Amino acid sequence: MAYISKMEELSRRAFLRRSKQVAVAGTAGSFAMGLAGIGEAAAFSAGNDYKALVCVFLNGGNDHNSTFMPYDSANYDLFSAIRGGGPGQQAGGLTLERAVLTATALKPSGGQILTNNLQYALAPQMPRLKALFDAGKMAPVLNVGPLVIPLTLEQYKNNANPRPAKLFSHNDQQSTWQSSRPEGSTDGWGGRMGDLAMSSNSNALFTCVSAAGNAVFLSGKDAIVYQVSTSGAPAVTGIKKPLFGSAAGSTALRTLMTQSSNNVFEAEYNRVARRSIDAESVVNAALEPVSLATSFKPLVGPNTLAEQLQIVARLIAARQALGVKRQVFMVSMGGFDTHDNSVDVHGSLMAKVDFALDAFYRSTVELGIADKVTTFTASDFGRTLQSNGDGTDHGWGAHHIVMGGAVNGGRYHGVAPQISVTSPDQVGAGRLIPTISVDQYAATLATWFGVAPSELPSIAPNIGRFASANLGFMR
Amino acid sequence: MMHTQDQSLEDKADVSATLEMSVISDGTSATRPLAIYAVPAASLAVAACGGGGTGDSPTAIAPPPPPAVTVVAKPTTDGDAARYILKTSLSATEAEISDIRSVGYAAWLDKQFNMPVAETGAAWMTARNFDQVTNDQYYFASALGDHMVWNQMMTSSDAVRKRIAFALSEFFVVSATTLEIVWRSSAITYFWDQLNANAFGNFRKLLEDVTLNPAMGVFLSSLGNKKEDPKTGRVPDENYAREVMQLFTIGLYELNNDGTRKTSANGQPIETYTNTDVSNLARVFTGYNYDFTGNVKTPSVRVPSSMVNSVNFVQKPMTSDHTKWEKPAKASEHSLLEKSFLGTVIPANTDAPTSLKLALDALFNHPNVGPFFATQMIQRFVTSNPSPAFVNRVAKVFNNNGSGVRGDLRAVFRAILLDEETINPANAGTPTAGKLREPALRLIHWARTFGATSKSGNWTIPVLMNPPDSLGQSPLRAPSVFNFFRPGYVPANTAIANNNMVAPEFQLVNEVTVAGYVNFLISAIRGEMTNTNWDVKATYTSELAIAHDSTALLNRLNLLLTANQLSDGTKSTIKNALDASIVLETSATAAKQNRVSLAIALVMASPDYLVQK
Repeated sequence: MAYISKMEELSRRAFLRRSKQVAVAGTAGSFAMGLAGIGEAAAFSAGNDYKALVCVFLNGGNDHNSTFMPYDSANYDLFSAIRGGGPGQQAGGLTLERAVLTATALKPSGGQILTNNLQYALAPQMPRLKALFDAGKMAPVLNVGPLVIPLTLEQYKNNANPRPAKLFSHNDQQSTWQSSRPEGSTDGWGGRMGDLAMSSNSNALFTCVSAAGNAVFLSGKDAIVYQVSTSGAPAVTGIKKPLFGSAAGSTALRTLMTQSSNNVFEAEYNRVARRSIDAESVVNAALEPVSLATSFKPLVGPNTLAEQLQIVARLIAARQALGVKRQVFMVSMGGFDTHDNSVDVHGSLMAKVDFALDAFYRSTVELGIADKVTTFTASDFGRTLQSNGDGTDHGWGAHHIVMGGAVNGGRYHGVAPQISVTSPDQVGAGRLIPTISVDQYAATLATWFGVAPSELPSIAPNIGRFASANLGFMR
Repeated sequence: MMHTQDQSLEDKADVSATLEMSVISDGTSATRPLAIYAVPAASLAVAACGGGGTGDSPTAIAPPPPPAVTVVAKPTTDGDAARYILKTSLSATEAEISDIRSVGYAAWLDKQFNMPVAETGAAWMTARNFDQVTNDQYYFASALGDHMVWNQMMTSSDAVRKRIAFALSEFFVVSATTLEIVWRSSAITYFWDQLNANAFGNFRKLLEDVTLNPAMGVFLSSLGNKKEDPKTGRVPDENYAREVMQLFTIGLYELNNDGTRKTSANGQPIETYTNTDVSNLARVFTGYNYDFTGNVKTPSVRVPSSMVNSVNFVQKPMTSDHTKWEKPAKASEHSLLEKSFLGTVIPANTDAPTSLKLALDALFNHPNVGPFFATQMIQRFVTSNPSPAFVNRVAKVFNNNGSGVRGDLRAVFRAILLDEETINPANAGTPTAGKLREPALRLIHWARTFGATSKSGNWTIPVLMNPPDSLGQSPLRAPSVFNFFRPGYVPANTAIANNNMVAPEFQLVNEVTVAGYVNFLISAIRGEMTNTNWDVKATYTSELAIAHDSTALLNRLNLLLTANQLSDGTKSTIKNALDASIVLETSATAAKQNRVSLAIALVMASPDYLVQK
């Protein structure tokens, strides 16, 4: 079948590119490097295990201060003073009453102590993630953000060190989080992992799968993003059935949608259409026998994040039929740009994230592969600690969530920032200078995924400038 | 002196001479191609009108008065005529094709520009009582704004203005989806009406109208934005300040007039603003709220104890006059701190209206605005990858319409739509030509071409954002202020990327949307769109009349949908499919309808159609 051969072609191309790079590295001088490279080219073909990474992108810049709220009395008071809280630890401004945080206050294992004895509570709408933290299946990673090189406030002010371009700009920081470069970038670290992993999949097309629309995260140098809808792969009905009563019409439709062209726009559009038509039957046939008991349907209202994670879970369930051993997924949810009305808006977003992530984790337990699937959050940026009255503005570093059976959970990773808008760990208004770079975050996940140490710079280009390529949040 | 069509060709040599003169007077002869057809003379004459000296070259000697260029450039084939109309408008008719062939590009375009707003969105809403407090609770309805804009795009006679307004709505983005306010449909309608009203006005006025529009105020949270409070540490909301710079005026990087980036000594692009500029500019947009002047409270029909405000407050600019607010404040909430940004200093204690004027003047006069705006507008109409020279020509007109006026949108759109790269692109037929047609414009194209009507009269077309079963695009419903797609989007791992080109509309193209579009197209043609309540159907009167003649049918669709740009291969694929079923003049309507439907579906699913060239 033509379709399968195309898949093989994709895998072969990726393998050849890797081999060529390895060969170049080998002749370039370092004997040891060459050997390591040869090992890596085959690294993903070994073994029979399955692993998946799932990026949950929170579009708009998540207010990490309202996701992880200071709970201990002293830091709560500092927080409340900055965000307009009421007297006597009552709600006010952007804060909630301290007492409502009790149920989701996090007690890390091993008596871990954070900056200024800070104790966080998750947003009260996140009881499920609190339970996953307690069970050791979820870990907060503190103050992560794009960096080129470690940076102090002094260096920031003096422009002494390079920093990511276009900080605080939505589209550019989304792109920078996903790809290390501002908008216009064409490959992201999810896709670059896909480049390495795709040769271990017999259907390379299903290496990088998005339920989130087009985003650079999953594009590789070779890896292509395959898009699914929340119900699978939509078929072109006019091809499946006679078109306006005409079988010849159906045939013609298929011809027109898949024919080649000299015009680059026409050619590319049809290339996507061809993939869509070819892959549809494979995907839907693989999904057909899948039945998941885990419910992704919340009691009230729609939850688009849960719907996306449900199709990811179903695809993972169909992994053997799809011929994949390594996959990177992306799902996303909007609405996080909470300049306004943030207590209500952000709270309801947190409830959705809590429900969706928990349902997804439980589905991986149901499938018996909870320790083979790691889910992590990402977002444009964190937000200011300072309030603008009923919301917050664009920040930089932010706290993130990593979840799965292989996560070193139940404790924090990284350094908690001070609850302050004047401390030296932020550039004003509580815009945090990240203490963990996205490169480190990516490299840690990549290492778990199976990327060899010497390959990490191809995933996380700045990794060599940071002290550690492994933050230890994965087992 | 008027030329007939035949004369215009013979006059080509004369025109070139004329052209050369104006080019030299323009000071750009080095970069201007001279070997062009008669066509662009008209646009160039406009640029040089009123004494030339475009204002951006201070040392230039005042040129002689422009010669009277009256050559009328005309399309010489129906295909050329249709191609032009489809680039500038929303659909093409045989009458329009014949008209433009007779009067020429410029005269046809001016006729379109001169059409008044056919019917405002607000008038359409009023005619249906959608702005009244009734038992139907229209003040809670969100879909009425969609029905309004679909109706406007599918039926309005001022189609070029509508196409421009739609392009403006993708530059100054407000999305009805997050407008969670009472009277939201009327609010988005007022925003849409303002885009239409300003389409041929001045960018400065448009910028101010957009800034004070209550829907924008809600969307980018400037409505109710308060001045700083040292006691609590509260600072102004930065949302609008940031996006008005990044997206509505100057963009992120300093630009040359041709849209390319300026670079610093070390070759890096130069960022236009810092976060300090943002937080200072944010002070300008404090102290605004709805203007409740003339508000009437009416008891809700369903819940008489509850009072409903009249629609007026979403149909007026926001006001900094705190006495006019729904809950009048004791004092202004406008920041009186100094506002220092982009080299402009608004002194402390400057009131809201004065601050706004100074701030918008400063943004409007930034040299980036012309090339920044020009690039994106060219992308919406003509090509994804305009040449720097094209951007430069349009930006110059933005900078000075020839009469010393900056930001004259009529002149700007005229410059775009009468440029040689629009009328007669040098790269036509090359592999890199064109742009992907936007999904929403495809549906509108279909509706206008085939005489769509609404049974209910209310054009109840829903939001069509959901990719698997609709278009993934719906006017005034962008997922964020960053529009449906970004001007710099590069589809990865493609020949487009390898050619260092961008393809904004491809941000909407993936395995789901390509299938979703064709599925939706087929149901639209059938008149059985997804969702219930679909009451918009096409009549296909002209097509049914020639359904028995597959060649004539295909020729008609080829002209009206693709400007005769179906390839021979595509034509024969479609023709063979049509001829596989026999349809005679005497055949039943159902058979004719099937053939017409099949023909339209195949043309509109073909890549030849999907890429406007």
